[in-house]
Amino acid sequence: MATVKVEAKNLQKSFGMLDVLQGIDLEVTEGEVVCMIGPSGSGKSTFLRCLNRLEEPTGGQVIVDGFDIMDKKSDINKIRENIGMVFQQFNLFPHLSVTENIMMAPVDRKKMDKAAAAQKAQQLLKKVGLSDKADAYPAQLSGGQQQRVAIARALAMEPDIMLFDEPTSALDPEMVGEVLAVMQQLAKDGMTMIVVTHEMGFAREVSDRVVFMDGGVVVEVGTPEEIFGHPREQRTIDFLNKVL
Amino acid sequence: MKFFEIVGSAMPSLLQGLLKTLEITAVSLVFATMIGLLLCMMQLSNSKVLGVIARIYVDCMRGLPVMVLSFFIYFGVAQALSIRISSDVASVMTLALNAGAYLSEIFRGGIQAVNIGQMEAARSLGLPYGRAMRKVILPQAIRIVIPSMVNQFIITLKDTSILSIIGMVELTQSGKLIIARNFKSFEIWLTVGVIYIVVITILSRVSRMIERRMAVGNR
Repeated sequence: MATVKVEAKNLQKSFGMLDVLQGIDLEVTEGEVVCMIGPSGSGKSTFLRCLNRLEEPTGGQVIVDGFDIMDKKSDINKIRENIGMVFQQFNLFPHLSVTENIMMAPVDRKKMDKAAAAQKAQQLLKKVGLSDKADAYPAQLSGGQQQRVAIARALAMEPDIMLFDEPTSALDPEMVGEVLAVMQQLAKDGMTMIVVTHEMGFAREVSDRVVFMDGGVVVEVGTPEEIFGHPREQRTIDFLNKVL
Repeated sequence: MKFFEIVGSAMPSLLQGLLKTLEITAVSLVFATMIGLLLCMMQLSNSKVLGVIARIYVDCMRGLPVMVLSFFIYFGVAQALSIRISSDVASVMTLALNAGAYLSEIFRGGIQAVNIGQMEAARSLGLPYGRAMRKVILPQAIRIVIPSMVNQFIITLKDTSILSIIGMVELTQSGKLIIARNFKSFEIWLTVGVIYIVVITILSRVSRMIERRMAVGNR
C-alpha cells in the first residue's frame, strides 16, 4: 500500500456567491503523477492553490503528509517547504539572478550556507539544462527558460510533492516541449506531481491518473487509457471532442 | 561689481540659513519616513480599524495646508497645553506629519505595484509573510518608489520656506532678514532662488544615479 501524500476531502471553495469547488475528493499517493484537465473556470487551478493554501478553502479538508493544512497547530510555512509550486506566469524574482532565485529559499529557510546553496543551484540548473544561465537575470531569459528556472527554484527546497499550475500556458508553442521534457524527467525520477494542464499529449503520456473537472466537481477519474480511450461521462466526451 | 559685493556679504548668513533648511529637512524626513512606513503597514494590515485610522490621518494631513498646520502646532497646541514649543520642533513636527501622510501613500502604491504572483511564489517556497515582504516585495517596491519619494523629499525641502512664518531662520527667512537691512530685494531673492535650484538639482541628480545603480536585473 503506497503512502498517501495529498488528500482532499469534500474540499470546497467559494468566492462570495460563486461556488468554485463544490466538494472535491482526491487522494494522491507517493510517486504518482496526476493531471487535472477540464474547461477553463472548472476550478482546477483553484483546487491546486487550495492544496498549499494560497487559497483558503471554505470547507472540507486538505491533508498533506498527514498534516491538516487548515489546522491551527500545523505550520503552513513548514508544510509549504515540502510542496513545490510552479506557476503559469513563472513568477521568478526579477531583482535576483537565476542562481540567487534558486538559492534564496534554502538559505533563508534551511539556513544552508551560501556556497553549498550555490553549488546546489548549479546542480539543479544542470538538471533543467540551463547551466550557462546561472548569472543571467530573469528578464534576459525566454519564457521556456524562465519556467525551467522556476522548476529548479521549487526543487531547491527538496519538496516531495510538486504542483504545476498550467506551466506551459503562457509559453510560445516552440518552448512548450523543453518545459514538458523537464517535467517528464521529474516524473520518471519518482516525484509526486499534480499538474493542471491543457497539454493533452502530456497528460496522456506521463500521468498515472487523469482527473476531469467541470463546474467545480470531479466528473471522472481514471487512467489516461480510460479517460482518453473510453470516457464514461458525456461531459468528458464533449470536452475531449473539443480539445483533441 | 556692486552685485557681487552685495551677494558676497550676504553669503555667510544665507549659507547658515541653507544649513538650517537642510537640517530641518533631513530630520523631518527621517520621522516622515517612519510615519509613512507605519501608516503604510496599517493600511496593508488585516485590521480594519488600523486601516481606517491610517486613512483618516492621510485625509486630514492632505487636506491641511502646511502653513495652517504649523500655526496650529506652534500657536494652537502650545497654547492649549500651556507650553512653549520652539520653532525648530514645531517645524519638524509640521513637516514630518505632513510628508509622512504623502509618503505612506507612495509606499503603499509601490508595494501594491509589485505583481501579486511574487508574493505567492515566495510564500509557496515556505517563506513567512514578513520574510517574503523583506526579501522579495520590498526590494522591488523600493525601485518603483524612489522617483516619487525623491519628489516628496524635494517638496518637503521647499516647504521649509513656509516655516519662516513661525520664525524659523532657514534660507528664506535669512534672505528676508538681510533685505530688511540692505533693501537689496533683487540681488538677494535671486541668490536665494539660485541656491534652492542648485541644491534641489544636485538632489535629483543623486537620486537618478541611485535609480540607475539599482536598475540591475530589471533591464
